[in-house]
Amino acid sequence: MATDTRTKRLLNWVDFRFPLTEVFERHLSKYPAPTNLNIWYLFGFLLIVVLAMQIVTGLWLMMNYTNSAEEAFSSVEYIMRDVEYGWLIRYMHAAGASAFFALIYLHMFRGMMYGSYQKPRELIWLGGWFTYLILMAEGFTGYVLPWGQMSFWAAQVIISLFSSIPVVGEDLATWIRGDYLVSGITLSRLFAFHVVLLPILLIAIVFFHILALHEIGSNNPDGIDVKKHLDEDGVPLDTKPFFPYDISHDIFALGVFLIIFCSVVFFFPTGGGYIIEYVNYEPANPLSTPAHIVPSWYYTPFYAMLRAVDFPLFGLTAKFLGFATMMAAVAIFAVLPWLDRSPVKSIKYKGIFSKTFLGIFVVSFFALCYLGMVPPTETKTLLSKIFTIGYFSYFLLMPIYTRIEKCKPVPERVAQV
Amino acid sequence: MQPNSPPNPIRRQLLTSITSLLGFVGVIFAAIPFLSAFKPSARAEAAGAPVKVNIGKLSQGELMTVEWRGMPVFVYKVSNEAQNVLSSDKNKLADPNSAQEQQPQYAKNDTRSRKEGIAVLKGVCTHLGCAPKFYPEAISQDFDPNWQGGFFCPCHGSKFDLAGRVYANVPAPTNLEVPPHYFESDSMLVIGSDGAS
Amino acid sequence: MSLLALLAISFFSGLSFTASEYKCGSIECYEFSADTKDKESLQRGLSAYMNYCYGCHSLKYSRYKRVAEDLAIPLDIFEQNLIFDDSKIGDLMQISLNESKAIELLGAKPPDLTLEARLRSPEWIYTYLDTFYEDSSRPYGVNNKVYVNVSMPHVLEDIQSELSEEDYDRYIADITNFLTYVSDPSAETRKQLGIYVILFLLIFTAFAYLVYREFKKDLK
Repeated sequence: MATDTRTKRLLNWVDFRFPLTEVFERHLSKYPAPTNLNIWYLFGFLLIVVLAMQIVTGLWLMMNYTNSAEEAFSSVEYIMRDVEYGWLIRYMHAAGASAFFALIYLHMFRGMMYGSYQKPRELIWLGGWFTYLILMAEGFTGYVLPWGQMSFWAAQVIISLFSSIPVVGEDLATWIRGDYLVSGITLSRLFAFHVVLLPILLIAIVFFHILALHEIGSNNPDGIDVKKHLDEDGVPLDTKPFFPYDISHDIFALGVFLIIFCSVVFFFPTGGGYIIEYVNYEPANPLSTPAHIVPSWYYTPFYAMLRAVDFPLFGLTAKFLGFATMMAAVAIFAVLPWLDRSPVKSIKYKGIFSKTFLGIFVVSFFALCYLGMVPPTETKTLLSKIFTIGYFSYFLLMPIYTRIEKCKPVPERVAQV
Repeated sequence: MQPNSPPNPIRRQLLTSITSLLGFVGVIFAAIPFLSAFKPSARAEAAGAPVKVNIGKLSQGELMTVEWRGMPVFVYKVSNEAQNVLSSDKNKLADPNSAQEQQPQYAKNDTRSRKEGIAVLKGVCTHLGCAPKFYPEAISQDFDPNWQGGFFCPCHGSKFDLAGRVYANVPAPTNLEVPPHYFESDSMLVIGSDGAS
Repeated sequence: MSLLALLAISFFSGLSFTASEYKCGSIECYEFSADTKDKESLQRGLSAYMNYCYGCHSLKYSRYKRVAEDLAIPLDIFEQNLIFDDSKIGDLMQISLNESKAIELLGAKPPDLTLEARLRSPEWIYTYLDTFYEDSSRPYGVNNKVYVNVSMPHVLEDIQSELSEEDYDRYIADITNFLTYVSDPSAETRKQLGIYVILFLLIFTAFAYLVYREFKKDLK
């Protein structure tokens, strides 16, 4: 009893000066989550866990990594061999990168499926989109650090993309590299971005994303506005407190996720070449390009688009158009809230066109993901073109098909199970 | 919505406790690799491996400094006069008989050496880690008019005799440490290992 | 959902696609699966490597001591028999090869082989060691089916002529096993630890599931 009141007194002392209890209840323990949330709503939590894991493992790697062209490669082997459990920390970080992307793609798809980007959640969506952009930059800069053949040539190819920009391109690429070709100077600056700038931005944006979400409240698979029906305390009727109902769900999901994740880390750490490419076991050699340069699987849809555009148009080079297409494919997610004119949020109540085009988008995404991994042939490039059109049609035709299609009525309340 | 009250509160309490406990255990286990990674790596171990020193050319009263694990180790050949000082000048010392575990068992003797006449001492002051300076002659010094020869630490004025024993009433609490060492032959000293036992 | 699953399956089955060229140069790789648990094979492989390969091919990311410990070789025996220069047991396995001389003699710098088994695959190494053939057009009179026009001479030629075909296969299998081990020395520890980790996680997840189900009852 005595300790109880003492703790309470301390809490009161803090609460008087800082809204500790209020923040804790608002964002964690009492956060009202709709009762009809399903499995698609787990990935946000898992993403936070993976982010934390990447920060911790990254910190440990950084303690032993050397960011110079001469020593980067051997310092990675030093971590793998000489540092106790260094292998585990590095495999976790490498597999963590892939897990991060897998989860963020699922998380984004959830948003697209249930219209989580629609009014009034545009800023949540934009925050998430920006997180994704930074994550892509994190993935790229991190990929270069082991300074193997794939690291080097990926850096070479990606930075060369900037040289396609008319007029300033060449100078821009040289400026980014800080050298006339990718070198230790480039490595050092990418390292600085990877460990300082981008993580800070990432954490800040994730914070913004969650704050915005907790202001508006979570969407749900039916797209029902749960705030329309409140109980006498002003809490939406169709919600339950995060603690213990959602956290118990999330912890269970975390267990399942960790089983999958640890199976990869301990038994398939290179992921058959998809997590750590075999070519990257050869130190960077600026004089010899490996036979196939393939980006990590999470970039390949965009890489396939880059290769699909092989024709000049309106006086612009194919190289620039490919680059622009690739950039547009990533950027277009940002305007999604303003493309969707549907009166309903969830795909469940949207019409046949929305369902079809979302299907086309998914098929195109997976197909491009595959096509970006394999060496191009004439047929494959043609397929890439078709799927690129499929990918963009989901977005660009959305203002039309969401307006003309017939939607089902959305229920007023969440159905009680 | 208003959640119903639990049908079986004891079962719920038990399950939650077990899961929390398991989670806690899991976090502890997960911390092990990260804490272990702070231990000296194989590279540090290799760099800290025993070093061999040829002491054949060391003359009486001469001191050589050897680097072992990045720190200075003093190897000193004690002259005959110094030998006498060592046995006479005990009352000013804090720990004349080396009671504190600052040396391996084989160096726990009057000269704090494994081999009579050869002192092997870590050149790290036991106060705050500065490297003491060597003043072998028994002549009056600024810091001690009755100096009998030994080591003086310039950082905070600690004084040690020629066997590395600390004087009383100086900042350093203990004698200079004797690192593990053995003599492979008369002239070959190995620092960093007790040798085959 | 089933549509998604179908997509996923067709997507991953597509990944088994291989490039039109063979994985082992001009031929298919021979069947080989490395066994890094067989300590005796690893020891034989190490000894063969140190005697026939190490003259030119360093293992510079590995340390003598680690190899000795992992292969259960007493340190003093290792030091006396397998360290040929004045390296200490804790040192990296570097060699003092005169690079310019090697290039002059062989036409190329012999690569470090610490990571070769990860870079190329154990099958590749095994097949490579088994497919040297006579070719008078090459400087050393030999060529290789896996690494076409390789500049390396067939250093195991004498061994191959002395041993029966079966024994030679075992000999190169030992070397390949050793190189597979040295490319990923933590592999065995990793797999062992992995089993405990997964077992623990299964128990944890089972309880987490029970807790989840317990709380779900309130919402009905």
